Amino acid sequence: MHTSSKLTKEFTKKWVKGLQICCSSKKDMDVLERKKKIKLCADIALASAKNATTSWSIALISEAKKNDENEILVDNLLGPESRFKQQKIIRQMNSCHKRVRSKKILKKSCSISQRMKKMGPPKSNLAAYIAKRLVKKRTQVLQRLVPGGESMDEFSLIKEALDYILSLRVQVDVMRNLANATEVLNQSNSSNVFD
Amino acid sequence: MNPQLPNTLQQQCFYNPNDHMFANHSALVKPDPGMDEYWAGLHAGAFSDDQLGYGYMNPNPVAQPVETDQALFVQGNSSSVSASVSPKKRKGQSLQVVSDKEKKIKGCSEGDSRITHDQNSNSKEASNNTSSKDKSKVSEVQKPDYIHVRARRGQATDSHSLAERVRREKISERMKYLQDLVPGCNKITGKAGMLDEIINYVQSLQKQVEFLSMKLATVNPELDFNIDNVFAKEIFQCSTSEFPALGCSSTNSAYFQLNSMDQGGISYCGLDMGINAAEMGLRRSISAPISIPDQTFMDSSCYNQQMQPSGVWDGDIQNLYRMEFELETLIPFQSHQFTGSNEGINMKTET
Repeated sequence: MHTSSKLTKEFTKKWVKGLQICCSSKKDMDVLERKKKIKLCADIALASAKNATTSWSIALISEAKKNDENEILVDNLLGPESRFKQQKIIRQMNSCHKRVRSKKILKKSCSISQRMKKMGPPKSNLAAYIAKRLVKKRTQVLQRLVPGGESMDEFSLIKEALDYILSLRVQVDVMRNLANATEVLNQSNSSNVFD
Repeated sequence: MNPQLPNTLQQQCFYNPNDHMFANHSALVKPDPGMDEYWAGLHAGAFSDDQLGYGYMNPNPVAQPVETDQALFVQGNSSSVSASVSPKKRKGQSLQVVSDKEKKIKGCSEGDSRITHDQNSNSKEASNNTSSKDKSKVSEVQKPDYIHVRARRGQATDSHSLAERVRREKISERMKYLQDLVPGCNKITGKAGMLDEIINYVQSLQKQVEFLSMKLATVNPELDFNIDNVFAKEIFQCSTSEFPALGCSSTNSAYFQLNSMDQGGISYCGLDMGINAAEMGLRRSISAPISIPDQTFMDSSCYNQQMQPSGVWDGDIQNLYRMEFELETLIPFQSHQFTGSNEGINMKTET
């Protein structure tokens, strides 16, 4: 309970900060741009609220940094003292990518040879085989959903997914509250104007 | 017998999906016949598959006889791990005894994290491997590299299958965790179905974020976000103890002073002040043209909005409800604003 409220606090603070930075830079944006900015701020705020402790947050941050114009935003949000962390993040992501690539190559070569041998056994235990295939497909989908999921094995993927779910919940709550509060204020403001 | 460790972690943490289980890495798990120490290991968060060496057995069997009816479970870090609830605890030994046959080997997975932290690992080695088809199983930590696993009765004992089994059990424990977290997962038991639910849930959460950011973009003509309002919201979520202090009896002069300040300035110093600024933040949230009774009513309507359920609120809601009722009785309603509070109340009752 306490940890989630802490996370909420952190996230809110960082998100508001990021939004201020965003709106100070550009004056006129259409709805879609605004929406993108909002979402981006929210994501980065969420990731940095985790302080780069989890893999998915690292992945989110590094992805955001790839875009140059976001870099200022990210830097500001993460805080000046986290320069070193950023370096670490970048390095980690690079190594992750290499690992992923080599894994993929290995898998491909293995699977080809395995397929040659494997014609017999699956038939005998068809149900288990099908079940495995199902699970595999789903883990692939989950990998795509969770940021940075490609470079994880099944076990840590689940752990990351859990963490990600919790933080997403926090994010949704905060955003929903803000949206509703803004609506109410707008309503009252407009009704005051008409009075 | 090892004294039961004070379990700081609330057990309801497991069952309350709103709690952030994973972040609390240092928390201990309350022992539970169904749940094992593995959860504590999960909380320790130090899992890495590289560290586990599966199925390595000590070539020198330990002199200590193994009781066949009991499985010895040695926890390396006995001081920081919650003891398992076992009726057959051995007395006078540092070993903790787990009695089930069905207790999984997984202790090794959490033993993993324990190892690295504890120096006085009680390394009574459980005896041997391939020859033993005992009823009991032992997992123990002797060195950081090895997890010693004993085979269950009637099961294969080569290292590969043991490794497989350990891995599978780790995953299934995680799945159980997920069941608590993702709503509506209690009935599903298979891995594929669980993964399906998780995927759906993550997707729906992400879509919600998209939708809400779109909504925010439309509601705010400029990205300014009416900093006061944002402020109030933040303060709401931050502090609970401040709320009882809020009331209509606040000094009115403060309102106008604060409202006349520069918006940017307010927000920044508010962010710094954090929790202490609860009262101030609320007053600031009300824009200047509204008169005082309306302002205090705005408080309550803000309250209403904030009281929509979010997982964070739980215990705070009681305070808020009390406050809100006090406020509403004291303030004369205005008709257009009444609808706002009605919505809030309706939403409250729905949830």
